[in-house]
Amino acid sequence: MEHDASANLGLQVLEQLARLGRIGIGGLEQLGRAHLLLLHMLAGISALATRPRLLLSQLFSVGVLSVLIVAISGTFVGMVLGLQGYYILSQFGAEQTLGVMVAASLVRELGPVVTALLFAGRAVSALTAEIGLMKATEQLSGLEMMAVNPVKRILTPRFLAGFISMPLLAAMFSALGVMGGYFVGVGLLGVDDGAFWSQMQSKIDLNEDVLNGVIKSLVFGFVCTWIALFQGYSAVPTSEGVSRATTRTVVHSSFAVLGLDFILTALMFGE
Amino acid sequence: MIDDKPLVTIRNLCFSRGERAIFDGVDIDIPRGKVTAIMGPSGTGKTTLLKLIGGQLQPASGTVEVDGKQVHRLGTRDLYRLRMRMGMLFQSGALLTDISVFENVAYPIREHTGLPESLIRKLVLLKLEAVGLRGARDLMPHELSGGMARRVALARAMALDPMMIMYDEPFTGQDPISMGVLVKLIRALNDASRLTSIVVSHDVREAAQIADYIYVISNGKVVEHGAPDAMMNSASEWTAQFMNGLADGPVPFHYPAPGLEQDLMGGA
Repeated sequence: MEHDASANLGLQVLEQLARLGRIGIGGLEQLGRAHLLLLHMLAGISALATRPRLLLSQLFSVGVLSVLIVAISGTFVGMVLGLQGYYILSQFGAEQTLGVMVAASLVRELGPVVTALLFAGRAVSALTAEIGLMKATEQLSGLEMMAVNPVKRILTPRFLAGFISMPLLAAMFSALGVMGGYFVGVGLLGVDDGAFWSQMQSKIDLNEDVLNGVIKSLVFGFVCTWIALFQGYSAVPTSEGVSRATTRTVVHSSFAVLGLDFILTALMFGE
Repeated sequence: MIDDKPLVTIRNLCFSRGERAIFDGVDIDIPRGKVTAIMGPSGTGKTTLLKLIGGQLQPASGTVEVDGKQVHRLGTRDLYRLRMRMGMLFQSGALLTDISVFENVAYPIREHTGLPESLIRKLVLLKLEAVGLRGARDLMPHELSGGMARRVALARAMALDPMMIMYDEPFTGQDPISMGVLVKLIRALNDASRLTSIVVSHDVREAAQIADYIYVISNGKVVEHGAPDAMMNSASEWTAQFMNGLADGPVPFHYPAPGLEQDLMGGA
């Protein structure tokens, strides 16, 4: 009896271990597929030179159509930064450095990170849904049977458009954020106009701050778009499958952005 | 002499999805210039068979030869070259939803030829005329009925003048008029363009009406094949049940279950 119970327990443990193994192998397989897809997308970039219109139309839908949400969010985040920064800095009589605080927060962190999170919600989730639905409605299979490579023709332009759009959107977010901070700090709360800009000019470094912010946004754009296209391309071709893939895109992209931001910040600004 | 050889030769084809064997040693010959119907109950892998012929899926074993080329041994470039000579009509039409009817039909021509715009226009209008939808050229796919979408997809499948067209369930979900139009079109296009057509369907009456030859597959095997008349009067009980749509026969009406009385009395 006791022997049976211990044999059962052993079997259960083995079953759990096998399950764990299956999850691990499944995860690795997904990772492998994602990298293969990335290679195929990158290989298709050169072909875009002869068809720039494919890229332009995607730049419009991924980038231009995201401008409004990024612009509005950037302005409000900058205004909040101006307000909070002023309350704190004025306690130490340092409100003249408000411009530095607003600009540094935006170009180093909030610009790339918040834009990437908005980008994940607004643009790349739509990419997953679009590609997933194209798969579900056999449009991708249809292209294959027309001897057209769907990765090169459909995925690559979207990937490149996401990669190019993201740093431009982040730059716009930061610029409008600074303007929002200026409006609140200088316009409403009476911070000196000259001090706001001159302090910012002297303390914000092109390489240390701006360039690092741009690198972050490039990385986020690359990763978010890659995740979105992979999720769409590997979605189960049903309405539920596409819906799950879209959710996964937003969740994975957001985690990737926040995790990578920590790593990049440590690498860029660590001593 | 070469014209007598079948256009598609499938030998000992085996294909599985997970544990489930979809095909288990299937042999099929698709003769040139004819309409061949591949029939069978839902879920027997008829669409899978078309994907295997088109090289979109890889068989576990066996060979698929199209026009003398073993599809699954071809490199990507050669496979794409072969696909340019195959058209496929998907069940959903698979039209690109963000471009118009005209652009959908022009798509393969633009992709694979360097023809001038004026010639592309003429070609597209001729293809649309053949399916009776020249007047719908400016409509978007969402403005089309199901039958119209399939006809546009048919015009697109013919755009590069392929040697064969594969039809995946062309009659499913069509009203009687659309169904009649499609039946007529498939036969007329096959004869006028000297195509080879493979029609995958479980609509027995319509498929038998246009097919020169019929294969019936079930449970991963070819159950029977022959001319439509012979198949309709088949001595095989299974084929007779399928072709005549009988509710009960070798394929039971009831899904396997314990006895009704036992089930009713033993419930929780």
